[in-house]
Amino acid sequence: MPTASIIARSLTKSYGELTALESFDLEVEQGSIFGLLGPNGAGKTTLIRILTTLMRQSRGEAFIEGLDTRSEGRAIRRMIGVVSQENSLDRYLTARENLELHARLHGMEKKLYKRRIDELLELMGLAGRQKDFPDTFSGGMQRRLVVARALVHQPRVLFLDEPTTGLDPQSRRAVWEYIRSLAGRMTIFLTTHYLEEAEQLCDRIAIMDHGRLIAIGSTQELKDRLSGATVYEIEFTGEGADRYAALLGSMPCVIDIRQIENKVTVTLECWECLSEIVTALNGAPVRRISLQERTLEDVFISLTGEKVRE
Amino acid sequence: MLRGSLAIWQRDMQVLRRSIFSELVAVVAYPLTIYLAFGIGMQSYIGLVDGAPYSMFIAPGLITMTAVNAAYNESVWSLWFHRRVQFTVESYRVTPISVSEIVIAKIFTGFTHGIIKGFVVGLVIFAITPFRFPLEHLLQYLLFLIPGSALFSCAGVISGTVMDKPETIGKVEAVLVMPLIFMSGLFFPLSSYPPSVISWVRALPTTALFEGARRALVAGEMMPLAALQVSLSVLLTFVAAVYIFRYKMSE
Repeated sequence: MPTASIIARSLTKSYGELTALESFDLEVEQGSIFGLLGPNGAGKTTLIRILTTLMRQSRGEAFIEGLDTRSEGRAIRRMIGVVSQENSLDRYLTARENLELHARLHGMEKKLYKRRIDELLELMGLAGRQKDFPDTFSGGMQRRLVVARALVHQPRVLFLDEPTTGLDPQSRRAVWEYIRSLAGRMTIFLTTHYLEEAEQLCDRIAIMDHGRLIAIGSTQELKDRLSGATVYEIEFTGEGADRYAALLGSMPCVIDIRQIENKVTVTLECWECLSEIVTALNGAPVRRISLQERTLEDVFISLTGEKVRE
Repeated sequence: MLRGSLAIWQRDMQVLRRSIFSELVAVVAYPLTIYLAFGIGMQSYIGLVDGAPYSMFIAPGLITMTAVNAAYNESVWSLWFHRRVQFTVESYRVTPISVSEIVIAKIFTGFTHGIIKGFVVGLVIFAITPFRFPLEHLLQYLLFLIPGSALFSCAGVISGTVMDKPETIGKVEAVLVMPLIFMSGLFFPLSSYPPSVISWVRALPTTALFEGARRALVAGEMMPLAALQVSLSVLLTFVAAVYIFRYKMSE
């Protein structure tokens, strides 16, 4: 039976009147990739700062690998790696020196960290640039170096706070590949506002808003939480789209209807309503009727009432 | 316990080694200009001060000023930069070292900068000016220079911790740090102050530092009370620097 690597119980953080995190409960299984989604200001960074012992909660408790974040901070920091939102690379040290400093701060022996750093630089495709300063790197390379730094001491839990923010799509996919390659070897806790990133990488996803956990589960489980409504896209061949859109819009089983040129998207109460639609469209110049897959974004919007913002 | 401090201090020294030449040129230029402008240029107008030519009077103060200024500047700007710009303090904090180890490292870095730069300026003044002192006075002088650099390094760490804007750091330096140095009798004897002011000026640790350092280097005179005053100030500012940094990090 898998055990929990990260546990949060009734975690609350208040700044005077403002509550950034409220009675937050969470369990993350060992070796899994866990994603935390939420709009800006939802409390994601507050949660990650408490879990990484950078901040103390006002109430509640949190455990990393069974260790209490309030009383066993040093032991926790020994077994976690953190990739923060900000680029915290030391621009006055070379790529290799950045990793060496981190290893020394972790109390690693020189013989041990030398080999480990060689491996990581190779793995991250930075071996040829190890003597260069981070300022001369592209955004993607800098991010890979930050990930490498977080992995030097072979952590059991890796925290990634929006690891691909600001990266171009190609670099983002490269970072995803590295994260995927780590799956199973350590627990990965990832915050992101890229829904595709969460969908691609995470075994389980939690959605939070206003400091509260509002949903948790696998991508499919979260999609299944949406109401029974189904969405179809109807593509017309001729010019009847307007007329048929008006007709469909007047039907009681249609919850929502949108039209873009000759494509009409209808949201039905349930999939059984499709037969009524097909009957209504009898003789209409229809090229195609297709079922639209619900996305994580639909889930996110339905739960938070807003789109994810960068 | 201080493994983290050692690692961060070694990092700072590694960076200093890379830029040592440009750092020293910048550091030497300022006191040397003052020495040439005031010590040499004004000497014939000023005559003897406390029984010594003016250039001899200001030389120990300039060396001390370089050391403490370097210690203060390194601590304040380095801590501010690593905290607010480069976020390296955050990256240190997620490793298994304590917050105290970080701040102690930064105090030692500032202190080291002060000692190195003070020493180099002393060498340059010694090499290119007629200023001379008996070598046996050096030990007594170090009893002031070492705690003086530590004092200003701690003060720099406090400023770099509490101030988030660079312009505030500049203002504090102009309004507080430089006046404290200049008021402590760097360019004139303390006897120039009106009697009502002198007891206040003497209460300042910077006065004890500059006065004690000058007398130690020039006359080989030991001022135990002044040395004690400086040392106690170091202790207090060290405790304050560590406490304030820890408090700031817990916010």
